[in-house]
Amino acid sequence: MTRTTQLMILVVLFALFSLLYQGLWGDPRHIPTVLVGTRAPVFEGPDVETGEPLSSERFKGKVILVNFWASWCQECKIEHDNLLRLHDEYKDHPEFVMLGINYQDEPPKARAYLQRHGSSFSHVRDVNGTLAIDFGVYGVPETFVIDKNGVIRHKWIGPIVDDVYANLTQNVLTPLLEG
Amino acid sequence: MDETEIDQRVREIAKTLRCTVCQTETLWESGAPLAQQMREAIRTRVSQGQTAEEIRAYFHGRYGDYIMMAPPKEGSNWLIWVAPFLLLAVGGALLWREVKRWVTRTPALQVESPPPLDEESRRRIERELQP
Amino acid sequence: MIIEIGHFSVVTALVLSALGIASSVLALKTRNVDWVRVGRMALTSIFILLFLGMASLVYSFLVRDFSVHYVAATSNSQLPLFYTIAAVWGGHEGSLLLWVFILSAFSTVAVWLHWRTQPAIMPYLIGVECLVIMGFLLLILFLSSPFDRLIPAPPDGKDLNPLLQDPAMVMHPPMLYMGYVGFSIPFSFAMAALLSGRLGEEWIKVTQRWTVFAWLCLTTGILLGGYWAYYELGWGGYWGWDPVENASFMPWLVGTAFLHSVMVQEKRKMFQVWNLFLIIVTFSLSLIGTFLVRSGVLTSVHTFATDPERGVYILLFVATIIGIAFGSLLMRANKLKSQIEMDSMVSRESVFLFNNLFFLVAAATVFLGTLYPLMIETWKGAKVTVGPPYYNAVFMPVALGLLFLMGVGPYIPWRKASPASLKKHFRVPLIVGLASTLLLLAFGVHGVFALFGAFVVGFAGAAIVIDFGKISRLYARRESVNPLKGFLSAFRSNQRRYAGLVTHVGVLVLVVGIIASTVYQTEKVVSLRVGDEFILDEYRVKLERIHEVRGKNWNAQEGVFEVYEGDALLTRLRPQKRVYDASQTPTTESAIYAKNMGHIFLTMPDVSPEGVAVARGVINPLILWVWGGGGIMGLGVLLNIFRPRK
Repeated sequence: MTRTTQLMILVVLFALFSLLYQGLWGDPRHIPTVLVGTRAPVFEGPDVETGEPLSSERFKGKVILVNFWASWCQECKIEHDNLLRLHDEYKDHPEFVMLGINYQDEPPKARAYLQRHGSSFSHVRDVNGTLAIDFGVYGVPETFVIDKNGVIRHKWIGPIVDDVYANLTQNVLTPLLEG
Repeated sequence: MDETEIDQRVREIAKTLRCTVCQTETLWESGAPLAQQMREAIRTRVSQGQTAEEIRAYFHGRYGDYIMMAPPKEGSNWLIWVAPFLLLAVGGALLWREVKRWVTRTPALQVESPPPLDEESRRRIERELQP
Repeated sequence: MIIEIGHFSVVTALVLSALGIASSVLALKTRNVDWVRVGRMALTSIFILLFLGMASLVYSFLVRDFSVHYVAATSNSQLPLFYTIAAVWGGHEGSLLLWVFILSAFSTVAVWLHWRTQPAIMPYLIGVECLVIMGFLLLILFLSSPFDRLIPAPPDGKDLNPLLQDPAMVMHPPMLYMGYVGFSIPFSFAMAALLSGRLGEEWIKVTQRWTVFAWLCLTTGILLGGYWAYYELGWGGYWGWDPVENASFMPWLVGTAFLHSVMVQEKRKMFQVWNLFLIIVTFSLSLIGTFLVRSGVLTSVHTFATDPERGVYILLFVATIIGIAFGSLLMRANKLKSQIEMDSMVSRESVFLFNNLFFLVAAATVFLGTLYPLMIETWKGAKVTVGPPYYNAVFMPVALGLLFLMGVGPYIPWRKASPASLKKHFRVPLIVGLASTLLLLAFGVHGVFALFGAFVVGFAGAAIVIDFGKISRLYARRESVNPLKGFLSAFRSNQRRYAGLVTHVGVLVLVVGIIASTVYQTEKVVSLRVGDEFILDEYRVKLERIHEVRGKNWNAQEGVFEVYEGDALLTRLRPQKRVYDASQTPTTESAIYAKNMGHIFLTMPDVSPEGVAVARGVINPLILWVWGGGGIMGLGVLLNIFRPRK
């Protein structure tokens, strides 16, 4: 066996083990989004509570926060109060709109959920899952922020709690609305 | 396009896309609701006349490389697409060279003259050679 | 109380594993045989203690002692007896215990079996095995103990993952582990050879049966896993190139290379270093496979909970063993200059070398494909998927190359093949191979892999058939008996060779099954109501009714599908959509009808509240050849193991 072969085996082993070590700290559920920085899809569907058709076209030129949720989703319940608080905080801003998208749900259950946990903004029903696919959604909850030019500027997978809330409001929403 | 053809196309496309909520199944295999809706979405697009490439590009645009069952042949992904063949070629060439060297180094096979046969073995061989 | 006895036994086993290592070192230092005896006693006691540990766990499962955390987590009071026992290895902790228990059993058997004939090897064997055992016991006791109590005890346990409540899944992990662990015996002998400098052919001859036995277990384990995936996961396929499947496939590939390559060393006394390298890689891949599966580093359907701490420990342990192994190899390698004699480029020796090259490239391909997502995540923070389309494109050519070599290899003589012998052996096989390709073409198959596959199968198959035919006739003539008896005595005359060829036949049958069931597969997913029907290939499938079925610990909606061939009712298939009580997890149970060595495969993944069922129908032609081929391979290995000793 030559020196080079020996060295090569050592390098390969070392690389392998450092790779595996690095891999231990990755979050298997984390999947980077490709949509941030691209134009947000236009979405429309019936309003969960009234059944009236609702389209994102109506809010063109505004900052839109879109939250995907479902009545069967546990993490959505955790973030629900925060969503209401967030809406409260920004609702007076003329250029802010907040919309929920109800994902893979049955309308009666979704309505009951909103009655129970409170509702202050409109929710669109994703009738056959196409809205979720348009937004590249993996599961619920997921939250998107669309700027005035209709470009997706932020995406968060998971509930909006604690630090995530602070980051979303201070570093994303406020600059977009002020700027 | 008739139904069977649409089915066929949907199947071909769905087999190259990953079910995003179930880790290692394809969209075609998965029973998850999202996968079902994605198959529906593929179907709608197929019946609208979109090509397989357009449909794949749509999903790729929404979900990134992750949704493709095999990494697209571009950039660093070439590494794994060519590595097996490269290994085979380089390994084969090296091995060939090495074996050739061994062969030239080895003295030619000695044709040893066989030791004289005793009578019994000779008869046995003859017996076995008989048709 | 019982579980504490088990816990205590395992703790004692840990202490004894340290004693085993120490006594081995002392035995080598002092050259005193008594220390080896101490080591043997330690190892044997470890086996007994781990048996007690396993038994106490099994007992706790049987009496449904939910105050044991692990029992509560992987079983409940409704779980049938059969699966209650299987639940012992249904979770992370228990399967590690099973791993180390099998390891202790194998190494104890090896020590007693080879004690008289291989005294010089014993200290090394005991030392290496105890080291591996100690690593696993530390992991079990400190980071994933199945003996922990859960106080207060819950009234009932959770459940064994419903997907694992299946006969094939009961046997799959033990078989797989027996495969992984079986390779530890030749590995230990190899380490002994390396460290002691006795690098002759001895260790290879002694461990030959261990190697093929380990290979048999691993093969069976992999096939059982495929069989389970086939009818339990419900998509009609048996191999998905899932990271966990790959983890078991990699040691298989290198292990197969090893069990071929050792023949060169036995016959020609060459490639000592190479064989040491191969067995070290095989066992390392078994360990890395365990790491990949157990640490959650790969996202896969099978992976258990992620826990970096546990992962770091397993990695450290695996790295230590692999480090020691490769370290010794590198240190000793320069002293191992074997005299290589090659008379010709075309010889059995060189075919084996190329066989090894192909197997290693195949393993490297799977390895790279499995780890590539991890690499990309580390380098770029991005996620990619490496799935079947990739492997189909890059692995298949390599596999076809291997199959071709398999057809050629047994008929190339050692040292040198003359053009005349090549012509004699390969003219007919070549014709048969080409004919099968043309036949497939005539049937309208245009897939490149299928056509090449047909050639290779025809070629290799013909070569083997001709060989068996010739040798049977020869022996029949010689002993004046009928050809069948002639075949048997020919077989016995060189059982090792012919057993190997039987395994090759099994591989060919398996490959035919794989090609037929992928190329000719018909698949359909439909939504239908009761009374509707759909066309599946040449069959008409009608949903007759959907009703509720109650099992021991599940409820199911069962669809009754009538399968018609023409107007004749062929069979009724009853796929189920089950929901298990405890976990409320749904599973799809497939329904299968076998016909002409193929399957009509039906699942019903969903029934909407409005009564619309989703059904998936698959026709898998010749799929029984896949399992049959596996069986023939196994038969070949058994004939090899139980061949008459010379």
